Amino acid sequence: MTDDNKNDVNDNRYDFGVDADVVSQSDPRFDAWVAKMAPTLNVPNAAPRQEMWEAIQAARKTSRDAQAGLLPGVTPLRRNWRLMSVIAAALLLGVAIDRLALRRADDARVAAGPTSSPGSRVASVPATNRDTAADPARLYRMAAAQTLTQAEALLTAYRASGVGERNPSASRQLGSWGREVLSSTRLLLDSPAGNDPQLRPLLDDLELVLVQIIELSGAPLDESDRALIDRALQDRNLLPRIRTAVPANVAVTTSSE
Amino acid sequence: METERTLSLERAHQLADQRALIERVRQGDPSAHRALYETHVERIYRLTYRLTGLEHLARELTQDTFVRAFGSIDGFRGDSAFGTWLHTIAVSVTLNELKRRKRERARDAPLEDALALTQSEPYSDPLLREKLMAAVNDLPEGCRTVFMMHDSEGFTHEEIAAALGVTAGTSKAQLARARGKLRIALAEFAEEWKP
Repeated sequence: MTDDNKNDVNDNRYDFGVDADVVSQSDPRFDAWVAKMAPTLNVPNAAPRQEMWEAIQAARKTSRDAQAGLLPGVTPLRRNWRLMSVIAAALLLGVAIDRLALRRADDARVAAGPTSSPGSRVASVPATNRDTAADPARLYRMAAAQTLTQAEALLTAYRASGVGERNPSASRQLGSWGREVLSSTRLLLDSPAGNDPQLRPLLDDLELVLVQIIELSGAPLDESDRALIDRALQDRNLLPRIRTAVPANVAVTTSSE
Repeated sequence: METERTLSLERAHQLADQRALIERVRQGDPSAHRALYETHVERIYRLTYRLTGLEHLARELTQDTFVRAFGSIDGFRGDSAFGTWLHTIAVSVTLNELKRRKRERARDAPLEDALALTQSEPYSDPLLREKLMAAVNDLPEGCRTVFMMHDSEGFTHEEIAAALGVTAGTSKAQLARARGKLRIALAEFAEEWKP
């Protein structure tokens, strides 16, 4: 085996096995037999050309619509700054309302005197304050839903960018988009939404993958770069978890309140 | 001599046609998308089917290959033939999907394996065929890919090398290795190939 071949089998792109550079002795009779048998393995039927073409067209239309902002829940790249401002404002407002509500609850508890039982604390808070105190949770969930929707669109765009992607500007654009989603993810992690036992692990994993995408966005991605990100995406099962989290835990809860 | 010149002229015309077609795809011409698809779909589908053995999966992976290719057509610089570039994408998406499924199978019941076996073409000795398929599936991923591309689907070593990003020598060595491993795995059936 030549040095080139050894490099090929040791470069981790494909698993050639631990004994990849061991040269096998051939048996021409077996080779002829197996070459005759091999075409009978996994024999393909006729390609369903029209059905596949329609599916490809539908996927491309969805991608174009997402870019044009025509899909509800998917915000195109050009609106990101506005979206980020809304998310940040919602989070800040949530924190402010939360603190104000807690302070008023404490004041009410002090005013009620030392004989009040712990159970009477909430009852002593005026009804309007209780309603307001419930709002931050809703705001956090809304912010989480928007961030996760953005993350899903970003990761889908990353996957659609393809192994042959050699366009540096597309790679940089993906990185810049990733930075925005990362900022929003970190804001959520530092907010009370980060204490949610279901949301926290998802946001942690999302943060890690976003950091990888951003780190590798300075130059066109080669196959090993992509393999690194793909592995992180697959090992963490990130896209399916995001897709599950948005309707099941966040959006539905938000709309039901 | 004359035949060689005719062939190289024909090849030059094909490359020029391909370049023109890709340029039209880049400009968003829908008929060019369709023409490019029709030219390559059969081979991509056959390849994904050979590597997966599952019709619905082969269909999804073929679609995924073309969506990715059309989405990143600006990144195709024409250093290789368009078909080679497509094969690279197809092999990559297929092997990634197979890895993902392998991990899932380790957790779930092996239903898909059972389905794959029941969907297989009949052969005179089902046990031998089943053993061969199982031995092929046990090969290391790269080795198995080379074997299926060469012996099942008739790719040349040069085509395999271009699709996998390795040298033709590596492709040949891995094919020999695959056959060697299969011979050991099927030793109990040696009378099938020995006179």
